[in-house]
Amino acid sequence: MRFIALLAAALVAGAVQAQETIKIGVITDRVGVSKPYSEPATEGMVFGANEINKKGGVLGRKIELLIEDDQSKPDVSAALARKLIDQGAVFIMSVSLSPATQQQQTVTMEAKTPQMTPMNSADYLTTQVDNPYFWQTGPLGSTQIATLLAHAKSKNLKRVALITDNSELGQAINKAFKAGLDKSGIQIVDEEVVPLGATSATPQMQKIRGANPEAMFVAGVVTTTNVLIFKAYRELGLKFPIHASYNLSVPIYMTAAKGLVNGITFVDAYDPDKPEVKAFVAAYKKETGKDPANLHGYGYDGIHLVAEAIKKAGSTDKEKLRVAMQSITYSGVMGAKGMKYQFRDGKRTGFDPNGMVVRVYEGDRQGRVIHSGLGQP
Amino acid sequence: MQDFFELVVGAAASGAIYGLIGLAYLLIIRPTGIINFAVGEWAMLGAFGGFVLLTNYEWPYPLGMAAVLGFMFLVGWATERLVVRRLVERGAPLLAPILALLGMLVVFRESISVSFPPDPHPVPYAFGMGRLEFGPVGGTYQSFFIIAVAAAVFVGAWLFFERTVAGKAFEAVALNRRAAALMGIDLTRVMTLSFGAGAVVAGLGGLLIAPNISAHYLMGVPLAIQGFTALVIGGVGRIAGPLVGGLLLALAEQLTVRYAPLPAGYSQGVPLIFLMIFLLVRPTGLLKAKA
Repeated sequence: MRFIALLAAALVAGAVQAQETIKIGVITDRVGVSKPYSEPATEGMVFGANEINKKGGVLGRKIELLIEDDQSKPDVSAALARKLIDQGAVFIMSVSLSPATQQQQTVTMEAKTPQMTPMNSADYLTTQVDNPYFWQTGPLGSTQIATLLAHAKSKNLKRVALITDNSELGQAINKAFKAGLDKSGIQIVDEEVVPLGATSATPQMQKIRGANPEAMFVAGVVTTTNVLIFKAYRELGLKFPIHASYNLSVPIYMTAAKGLVNGITFVDAYDPDKPEVKAFVAAYKKETGKDPANLHGYGYDGIHLVAEAIKKAGSTDKEKLRVAMQSITYSGVMGAKGMKYQFRDGKRTGFDPNGMVVRVYEGDRQGRVIHSGLGQP
Repeated sequence: MQDFFELVVGAAASGAIYGLIGLAYLLIIRPTGIINFAVGEWAMLGAFGGFVLLTNYEWPYPLGMAAVLGFMFLVGWATERLVVRRLVERGAPLLAPILALLGMLVVFRESISVSFPPDPHPVPYAFGMGRLEFGPVGGTYQSFFIIAVAAAVFVGAWLFFERTVAGKAFEAVALNRRAAALMGIDLTRVMTLSFGAGAVVAGLGGLLIAPNISAHYLMGVPLAIQGFTALVIGGVGRIAGPLVGGLLLALAEQLTVRYAPLPAGYSQGVPLIFLMIFLLVRPTGLLKAKA
């Protein structure tokens, strides 16, 4: 009799638990400018949530993702954050554009709801607004540049050329590259801009050829102009090495720039030889039949990290979650071998500054890691 | 000096593309008076046609090219039949079809943006990647191919307008619609053909430049602006106008980047200054219409 009562109680409790999912809001971009980045990250997050749920969920409850599309528009984004919180989301994951993530903070700060971007790289997200409920685990723009320069330093470069596009982000990254190169005492012998909509980058590359640099830094972030630059580079038969921005880590170059990218080095947050990455790739392929890209890893790590925090907090109480997030240590798919996400000294950026890598294109494939971290103890 | 000749070949290829887009405007403006800003999106459709047939299905280049151009004719024909003709038949003012075509610009772009992933799509070169050199003059196979095709198109268009009765009919409609109609010229047929031919020429421009700039859903507007600038510089009075304008524009763009002592990024303003000077000094374009 007692056994049956227990069983009934367990069943009732189980039914209640099954109903009560842990709702996590996801703000992504399905049609706007950051779609090429947001879509794979969201796919990785969905895969990660399914994986967690198959193992029984968190605190005995399943994770339910409420996914919304903000088209990378900050105003839409803030309204969506409000909607998700009203629907009972205990956490907001932001994988759309940085300015949209920034705008969501006005809502999450006021509603005291934890929010994290597992992917955005803008440095200002944690510096402009003092929001104790916001964290960022995407590698910072400044870290990307510092890592690329650390690799360049190891090559003992003295004279380099710098090329970018005229997009807002391309200009910003160019500025940071320039500052970094100046600081390292490397001379910029020529600086070029390829405007969006250009049909040729030959004049720019001719000028660079004339300046005879030891290497060229590509700060551009628009794939079409970068492809134009690499075409002119091949066409003119140039030989100096190319060190490129983080944009070269998106998988599209393997098809859109066939035959053009071999030997180009670029900064990334993904090491294909890392055991965690190998396990992730195998599991993802088994489940979906597709190969994941590095971008999938951001979403995957993000949802796992948040699940870990909920487990650590022992509840979905927002204040307990905030405390758990701030003291979490988690190692996932992204980052150099052995890298751990943690929010040291009260900081809310969790990607280890030593955790980025420099990789090289081998043929048309994104190949091995040739440099890791900032090269400083 | 080698740089200069190399640049001239590359700029001539870019200029030929601007010229083709300019010609697409012109083929429609002359008989109808309609400025069709959707020509840039037509170029994009041509580029995506190349991506689908030449990259995905790996058709042989001539066959793929012919199929893309055939498809473009249908696009131009359908645009005229479904969008423009209804307005013209109901006696709408000239601005109405121009605005309707701006709407079509959005329709074309969005149908591509929802049908294909947002990344740039590769389109192959006609003869692969390689260089051809004649003494100091050197350039890619594709540059020479673009120049040759554009030259053939312009010669063909010139012969059509100057040497055939059908071409004269176009010319007559351009001069005076009412008189042409009274002389028994089928205005509807002229309009259909002008839209069809405009779409073919614009699509050809997109297909030829796509190996350089990739097929991308946002590629249309810059091409539409460059083509329009070429047309303004060269003038609408003569068939060769957009070609001359396109070549001048491309040379100005690329020679400034290479040789002007300006900080990086500033040189892209030079062609615009060039355009403003033309509009002030010679608003009818470089080539004068025949009396």
